[in-house]
Amino acid sequence: MKNKINGIVILALMVTAGCSSRSAVTAPETSGSQAPSPKISSPVTPPAPVTPPETPTGTLPTEPAPPSPASLSGYGFDQWQNGPLGDVFYDFDSTVLSAEAQDQLKQNAAWLENNSAHKALIEGHCDSRGTSEYNMALGDRRASTAKEYLVRLGVASSRLETFSFGEERPFDTGKGENAWAKNRRAHFVMKK
Amino acid sequence: MQFIRYVVAAVMIFLCVPLPLMAAEGGEYIAIRKEGSGKIVIALNKLDAPVKEESRLAQSLDTIIHDGLDFTGLFTMISPPLNVKNTSGLNFGALDSVGAAVYAGGVVTNTSGTISLDMEVYDIAGAKLLLKKTYNGKPPQLRTIGYAFCADLVELLTGKKSIFGSKIVFVSNKTGFKEIYECDFDGHELRQLTNSHSISLTPALSPDGKYLAYTDFSSGRPALYIRDLSAGIISTINKSGISIDPGWRNSREVATTLSFEGDQEIYLIKVDGAISRRLTFSKGIDLSPSFSPDGSKMAYVSDQNGLPQIFIEDLQSGQVNRLTFSGRYNTQPSWSPAGDKIAYTTWESGGEINIFAIGIDGSGLKQLTANSGENESPSWSPDGRMIVFTSNRQGSKKMYIMQSTGENQRSLLPSDGEQMQPSWSLFCQ
Repeated sequence: MKNKINGIVILALMVTAGCSSRSAVTAPETSGSQAPSPKISSPVTPPAPVTPPETPTGTLPTEPAPPSPASLSGYGFDQWQNGPLGDVFYDFDSTVLSAEAQDQLKQNAAWLENNSAHKALIEGHCDSRGTSEYNMALGDRRASTAKEYLVRLGVASSRLETFSFGEERPFDTGKGENAWAKNRRAHFVMKK
Repeated sequence: MQFIRYVVAAVMIFLCVPLPLMAAEGGEYIAIRKEGSGKIVIALNKLDAPVKEESRLAQSLDTIIHDGLDFTGLFTMISPPLNVKNTSGLNFGALDSVGAAVYAGGVVTNTSGTISLDMEVYDIAGAKLLLKKTYNGKPPQLRTIGYAFCADLVELLTGKKSIFGSKIVFVSNKTGFKEIYECDFDGHELRQLTNSHSISLTPALSPDGKYLAYTDFSSGRPALYIRDLSAGIISTINKSGISIDPGWRNSREVATTLSFEGDQEIYLIKVDGAISRRLTFSKGIDLSPSFSPDGSKMAYVSDQNGLPQIFIEDLQSGQVNRLTFSGRYNTQPSWSPAGDKIAYTTWESGGEINIFAIGIDGSGLKQLTANSGENESPSWSPDGRMIVFTSNRQGSKKMYIMQSTGENQRSLLPSDGEQMQPSWSLFCQ
């Protein structure tokens, strides 16, 4: 069990190491030319991470923190998330996977590895700013970025379905960065 | 301030171009513009009702015709002088002295439940009959009767088809769900078209009005639906990912963004739901197709350079040109029916969203809204003279109308709930 998880982590590291030196903070698949670098000097500055993660962030860890089996707390979990798979969050107008997001996806991959009968639905969500059609596409991109990362970690593509709610189903209907940050997510729904 | 300068410039241009007037018979054009006015000055007389019981019908039709003509923004309406009629008929001298270019008047009769509106229109300067026509209908169709006259009058005076009989489809959440609605161009005859109790978005009527394309979450995911409005048959696309934000290329082909191949790309779809071909190939999001009137070119949103901008693709050669360079977040392109301009929105750094119009060669950029919150989803009237859009300038998001120059912005449909994503039909029924 533990070996398996470590195996996945090592695989993940091999994948990320194969990219660029920035890859610890970018998605393995969608980095490079198209990765949206901070796009707009937005009306609001990009958010701080939603919840301070326990795990090291920012740099490629030399000694990977063994991801604990997904628990219903910490980064990726909040009152809207009650399955075994945690959500991942995004910066403003971005589809880039942060270190925290990658860490959560590793935990999700480990859970899916150990529960091979289950499938997951990944919903992309956006905050309400900008125009709604573009947000629908942006949410779709967020969901597929999360999916691609999981596939790189060895989860079968056929077990992962993606689509977007755009800005139509906010988790927090308030205004302001606190609310918006909660809404910029790939939301995981477990399916039997 | 800049906006005002734009508007002034637009008015000046308008003043310099004489409005041609096509005579009913003979087909010659007469310039009817009076000095100092960009609008057609029309003396609209109250309708006569020979039978007393019909005076209420006449009053209703007076209001319908007056408001209909006023809505177009083409007319300055004046009351005829008291001596409008003399022993020999119309007093053209008196009408000319009050500045009227055109006179319209008529008679209403009700013969066993059939209403007849007999209208006459005269060119004052030439003292000439331009139009004489009878419009018939049943009492519940008063608006249709009045607008049929308005449509003829506008077409006669401008040589172009009017907005009368056109429809606007849009999204409203007034039931608690986002459903699609339809109303007449002026907000009348509101009708709910979907009842999915889900999320229905981005409606667009085919150019011939036969089909409605929209995105709907009834299946659990955002999927394109194409509804044959008369037969009630619905086609959909069975692909993974999303299918969103349709735009019609012609009455049998609609383009939409699909993501089943991983990237968000635009595809052409036949009305039966079959994919006919893929139109975009850039990495990243490609979205919101809007076609030139002849269907040969497509304006769309692409974030291939990182930020959403408007591009134009020539469908035959496949050549793609970037259209917008001003503004960092440009979306929602809408190609004008005349083919020369594209309206779109810019999300500005201060948080406002504003509507702009730009020539298809990138020239003549003009800001149409300013200092009024979020102004979104522009869509041209079929005659190209007006634009419907949404704004939250008075709080809740509602539909507004303006002239395509940005002038005369006003609320279209005061009703409960928010209104979103209006799309003006190309047809006039």
